[in-house]
Amino acid sequence: MTQSTPVIEIDQLGRRFGRHDAVNGLSLRVPAGRCYGFFGRNGAGKTTTIKCLLNLLRPTSGRVRVFGLDPRRDEVAVKSRLAYVPDQVAFYPWMTVRETLNYMASFRARWNQQTEKALLERFRLDVRQKTSHLSKGQRTQLALAGAICGEPELLVLDEPTSGLDPIVRREFIQTVIGAYQDADPGNRTVFVSTHLISEFEGLIDEFTIIDAGREVLTLESDAARGRFEKPLEEIFVSTLAPAGATA
Amino acid sequence: MRLQVSFKSGKPVYLQVVDQVKTAVACGTLRAGDPLPGIRPLAESLRVNRNTIAKAYGELESQGVIQTAAGKGCVVRDGGSPYRKDVRLDLLKHDIDAAVVQAHHLQIGRADFLRLAEARFDAFAQQRHEAGPTS
Repeated sequence: MTQSTPVIEIDQLGRRFGRHDAVNGLSLRVPAGRCYGFFGRNGAGKTTTIKCLLNLLRPTSGRVRVFGLDPRRDEVAVKSRLAYVPDQVAFYPWMTVRETLNYMASFRARWNQQTEKALLERFRLDVRQKTSHLSKGQRTQLALAGAICGEPELLVLDEPTSGLDPIVRREFIQTVIGAYQDADPGNRTVFVSTHLISEFEGLIDEFTIIDAGREVLTLESDAARGRFEKPLEEIFVSTLAPAGATA
Repeated sequence: MRLQVSFKSGKPVYLQVVDQVKTAVACGTLRAGDPLPGIRPLAESLRVNRNTIAKAYGELESQGVIQTAAGKGCVVRDGGSPYRKDVRLDLLKHDIDAAVVQAHHLQIGRADFLRLAEARFDAFAQQRHEAGPTS
């Protein structure tokens, strides 16, 4: 991949469910090494867009490219270079933490044992525990560890911290900043969809706010703070809520 | 030195880091040869992107405040700015222009402005004195 090829490129993406347009003419691009925020209310089309990137859904119209490749035609090539942490993490319940990590590693060309060890310690995960006995926070931690140890070029996070306690949320973000971006930061791209914007505020270089499947605002974070003189979450609220609805 | 960033101000986060380090060096809280925190631990503790810290350190290095020492990361530079005096005066001119414009809008005249500048120099000297003897 050349430096100029965006990691994610979405052009006029449309996805229809029945008569409802979940995504309706969305375009955005994410350059390598960026941490890109994808903000929208519940039902704005964030997860549908992400599923189109991962070939879990087929676009009704428009075009998506990941690493310059078509995720549908080059599914294996695309998926081997990215990792995805959804909001609802599912594991095989009969497997232990150790077995789950081994299973995940078996799909990966690379697996960083040192990172794995460090993350297991940081999250205080017991490798002998069955995944069915893990709390929601521990499941997310295991999913994140599994995503990061494969050293993917792109980390796709879909509402990763919703429903987690503040300490787990904080650790999650520090892990993305620290462990994930540690090696080769110029080629570690993060695409995170969230409505917990203030939580991710410092991490986000650039963001797109979508509503009803369309782009409403795309800006670099620093430019946004300079223009609106308020935190990203306030920008989000004032962009989407009618004037007066913001307290 | 404890760095803090605020997302509430409209100021870019990397500039907040740059200005805090510059203030710490000017006040003597940070001395020549003192190491700055590494990019990863600082980014993790402030929970900001590493690019932001890298950008701040790059800016500080190009301004001659810090330098990269082999095996030690970034340290505060000894000696002054690498720029010639006319360049340094030129850099300062922009900040003074901004303050003069602000003074105009606040109806502060030249005499009051200069008196305030004197007072601020005194306060700064006092702050440096309290931080201990400097080289």
